Amino acid sequence: MATALTFKDFAGQKAMWCPGCGDFAVLRALQEACARLALPPHRIVLVSGIGCSGKITSYFSSYGFHVHHGRTLPIATGIALANRDLAVIAAGGDGDGYGIGLNHLIHAIRRDVDLTYVVMDNGVYGNTKGQTSPTTVAGTITPSSPSGAVEEPVHPLRLALAAGITYLAQGVSSDVPQLVRLIAGGIEHRGFALINVLSPCPTYDRLRTYQWWRARLVNLDEEPSYRPDSRELAVEAVSSRDASIVGLVYRAPGRPFQSRLPRFRPSPLASERLAPDGERARRILDARYAV
Amino acid sequence: MDAETATAVTVAAAEQEALISGSEAVAVASRLADVDVITAYPIRPYDTMMQYVAKQIANGEQDAEYIVAESEHSQFEIAKHASAVGARALCGSSGVGWCYAFEAIAVTPALRLPLLAMVGNRALDDPGAFGTEHNDALAARDLGWMHVWVDTAQEALDVTLIAYRVAEDRRVFLPCAISTDGAFLTHSQALVKIPPRAWVDEFLPRYDRGDLRFHPDNPITIAPQVNEDWLMEIRRQTDQAMRNARGVLEEAYRDFRRIFNRDYGNPFFEEYYTDDAEIVLVGMGTLSMPVKVVIRKLRAEGQRVGFVRVRWFRPFDYERLGGLLSRFQAVGVVDRDFSMGSPYNSGVLANEIRATLYGQPKQPPVVSFITGLGGREVTIPNVREMFEHTRKAAETGASPRDTLWIGVRA
Repeated sequence: MATALTFKDFAGQKAMWCPGCGDFAVLRALQEACARLALPPHRIVLVSGIGCSGKITSYFSSYGFHVHHGRTLPIATGIALANRDLAVIAAGGDGDGYGIGLNHLIHAIRRDVDLTYVVMDNGVYGNTKGQTSPTTVAGTITPSSPSGAVEEPVHPLRLALAAGITYLAQGVSSDVPQLVRLIAGGIEHRGFALINVLSPCPTYDRLRTYQWWRARLVNLDEEPSYRPDSRELAVEAVSSRDASIVGLVYRAPGRPFQSRLPRFRPSPLASERLAPDGERARRILDARYAV
Repeated sequence: MDAETATAVTVAAAEQEALISGSEAVAVASRLADVDVITAYPIRPYDTMMQYVAKQIANGEQDAEYIVAESEHSQFEIAKHASAVGARALCGSSGVGWCYAFEAIAVTPALRLPLLAMVGNRALDDPGAFGTEHNDALAARDLGWMHVWVDTAQEALDVTLIAYRVAEDRRVFLPCAISTDGAFLTHSQALVKIPPRAWVDEFLPRYDRGDLRFHPDNPITIAPQVNEDWLMEIRRQTDQAMRNARGVLEEAYRDFRRIFNRDYGNPFFEEYYTDDAEIVLVGMGTLSMPVKVVIRKLRAEGQRVGFVRVRWFRPFDYERLGGLLSRFQAVGVVDRDFSMGSPYNSGVLANEIRATLYGQPKQPPVVSFITGLGGREVTIPNVREMFEHTRKAAETGASPRDTLWIGVRA
């Protein structure tokens, strides 16, 4: 007899990030969130970009697609349109999502594609040994900026809110229970959800450690006066203190792209006789995970 | 000049030696050439060059505008337009990063912008690999970029200086890609002679775009929409520039020999034990290392074998190379790349060599090999095997009808 899902049901290959990498926490939170939502692995597609964080598709047991640098969202959009029965989750780093692939973020938000995007934001290109990334704070010394970075960083929360996002959250790798809630909320949300995770890189960023974040972060979820359904409060929060808040920043009713397409088929493309044995495979998997 | 000043000049004129990698040699050359604008975007293995540039600038040794762009596409666009306003420019990438810049790469020759790009040759993902494969740079082989493959860190430094001289010559004004084999050259260090700035200044004139310079005092439009009215003439002009590059390259190598006292012989290809060779292998890049080792072993066994390393792939010296190769009893061409579905299912270089030999009165059999993809080592036994196949073709006088993959699991 099948039992309830746990995070172990989503265990893939052994994760090979550096010891202390914040991405371990994101992986665990994603696994816990999917278990909590009773989403079995065969109902999930995880799409990841290039970078250390992009390895997450190998470490998470579900359908996975490790794509080209910056292209997580177009590919995740394609999957979400072709098979609405799947929970589509995109994951990647700040270089992938806020640099080389930034334009896609604006358009995915604009379309309100029904998918969840988890960004492991460490402010560094770890995979290529520590150069500046789009979220590197000005002045930071890296191999590509030995005299200190001269550019101002991208502010993902401000950008997303300005673009009209309907689910916006920020978490930190040191608080997995909160991350689980934020990611699960994003998956349940009908529309585009962005969860930016402050995910320390202990190898290349000696400044912004877990302790450093802990001393600075304010939890919006515990602020009695904060209401995530208030756009005014959200604008105020991301404008004045976006680098020091965690929690659910903003949530509004989504209007998913899929529901707005005039001729969108009532059933997913993927179930239209493209795979003759698909039903049988699904019954077996459903039975295994007690859905 | 007093004695103290004279001593200082003598010291300054001496070359210094440094233990640096191929990537770092390109970065050092960019310092010597006083490059004005350097754009970067990290990707392995090219990123070792951009980091060395960053270090030189931070140390106060190099004076350049340095921008880490948000993508390769932006990186190449920034460098390209810096070149349009008259700045000496450098960019670079590897593998799919180079491909991501392809829109900018494709239009640069027609705009006649002589920027340099270092390509740290890397396999195209997917499937992911960081090692050498030449298909990244070769994807742009037909577009009007000059392409050169270097073999050592010293050659990387020297060719960077030579490439600026040729690219920025008004008769040419074409971009140039300098291919350095990923890991084998980008990450391996060797003693490199670093010439004094005075020699470089003598060799490399200031980049002068003249009336083609984008400047408020010189109102011109670049890249207008010309449609069928003018496109073909522009292509023809770019083609003429590439033809001109042959002679300009010869001039540059002559001057380089005079000023730097380093002689590369024929600029376009290197010959190794070819004088009395019966059969030769032909290849590009760091492949020369295992091939040269095997040649020395086979020569000790009494076999007359040699190697031709193609250095400049565009422009391609088909006349002299054809004359040379037609002398041998058989030619084996080693590709560290592939051209799926091409004649003989071979790599890119093999078909260039076949075409090169077609115009010759005598055509030796050509054996094409594909090996060392994705950074796989080309071993001593692999090279021996390729010589054996080439020897067999010399004996039978017949070219195999298909390409042989060497060092691949069945």
